[in-house]
Amino acid sequence: MAANDPAVAGRMIESDAFVVNHSEINPESRLRLFEEIVLPHLNAAYNLARWLTRNEHDAQDVVQEAYLRAFRFFDGYQGGDGKAWLLEVVRNTCFTWLRREKRNLTTVVFDEAAHTPPAHLPDQEEALVDAANRTVLQNCIERLPDEFREVLIMRDLEEMSYRQIAEVAGLPAGTVMSRLSRARKRLGECVSGRNMESGK
Amino acid sequence: MNCSRDLIEAYMDEELDPGLRAAVEEHLANCPACSEEHSRFREQKASIRSIAPYYTAPAPLQQSVREALRRAVASESAAMRRNTPWRWLAIAASILLAISVSWNVRRAQPRTAENDLVAQNILSDHIRSLIGTHLLDVPSSDRHTVKPWFNGKLDFSPQVKDFAAQGFPLIGGRIEYLTDRNVAALVYHRRQHVINLFTWPSSAPPVNEGSFSRNGYNLLHWTDASMTYWAASDIPMAELQQFRDLYEK
Repeated sequence: MAANDPAVAGRMIESDAFVVNHSEINPESRLRLFEEIVLPHLNAAYNLARWLTRNEHDAQDVVQEAYLRAFRFFDGYQGGDGKAWLLEVVRNTCFTWLRREKRNLTTVVFDEAAHTPPAHLPDQEEALVDAANRTVLQNCIERLPDEFREVLIMRDLEEMSYRQIAEVAGLPAGTVMSRLSRARKRLGECVSGRNMESGK
Repeated sequence: MNCSRDLIEAYMDEELDPGLRAAVEEHLANCPACSEEHSRFREQKASIRSIAPYYTAPAPLQQSVREALRRAVASESAAMRRNTPWRWLAIAASILLAISVSWNVRRAQPRTAENDLVAQNILSDHIRSLIGTHLLDVPSSDRHTVKPWFNGKLDFSPQVKDFAAQGFPLIGGRIEYLTDRNVAALVYHRRQHVINLFTWPSSAPPVNEGSFSRNGYNLLHWTDASMTYWAASDIPMAELQQFRDLYEK
């Protein structure tokens, strides 16, 4: 709880900045510092990557690659929000990956089954209402365009502020707000449409 | 306040400052449509939080990330070790270079450094003569009074000239102790400005001539067959050079 105290948090950020600026000498001590500051955000990194890639294996690859990249750029980290800093790298790695994936999609074999988002199974929906709701919601989130999905995940699952999201996505806060708003609108439409479908 | 979807969402996301938050709260209490919209948003958000999966990193992922980082560090360290002999060589080479450069600079510039030191002393002396009471030991515009006054006080006889006709009247002289010896200071006026002309026999080899400007003062240094001269004043350098030319004529 001490870390939530603004005074304590301020001191921590200061000391982070101090140490990082003097950490270029020794790779081992740099790694120790990196593990201390950046590794605790592994779940946030994985959650974002998992929602953006929509795939468990790809998410793991992306996270690992993102961590290696983040470590390479660690000298550029000047203290401050370690989570936002890491997620920015994760996000960029994800989008690089998604672009590559899209290219493969058009140049290699077009395997529709493999590349469409996992379809919801009507039988399960009817069998278990909770599971059905879950599947509907998950599908609808996964069907959101990437730029809407990422702000929704960061805001409602990661509970990040508009300012933090703006930092990660490299967007003005106003754009974050409007994308979030459109994401929620689309999600609402998708969910009620699916529920009406399955209700009939 | 008008109905605003954006404000309702920002309110729900706790992104509003207290004033705006209170205004939205008041509006929600009085506007059924917005209140309903707000409930829908809250419901959706709650269902995302409770139903949508938060994917936590599988345990093996943490392990493999750690291992990948260690491998990266190990290869970085190995690269550093491989480079070590070259690094030491480079460091040794740059130290040698620095030594030889400073050695050559010292050999090439001893006179300049000395000049610098003399210039500093001349300037201090000039300023001291202006702020103190000791500008003149022998107040006289008559060079036939000033020149004999130095006799017996110095081991040399300075050339005393007057340039009153050219706008540099002699007003007197004094003795100063500079560069480890007694030197003659001849004092001239240029309009309301004072020129101190310091002179003493040159030591061999003759030092470089030159001009210096510091803190609004100009110093001009020259030598002739046997004597060293330093003129100090706050008049423009061009006038100081004019003064020198008159003196050396």
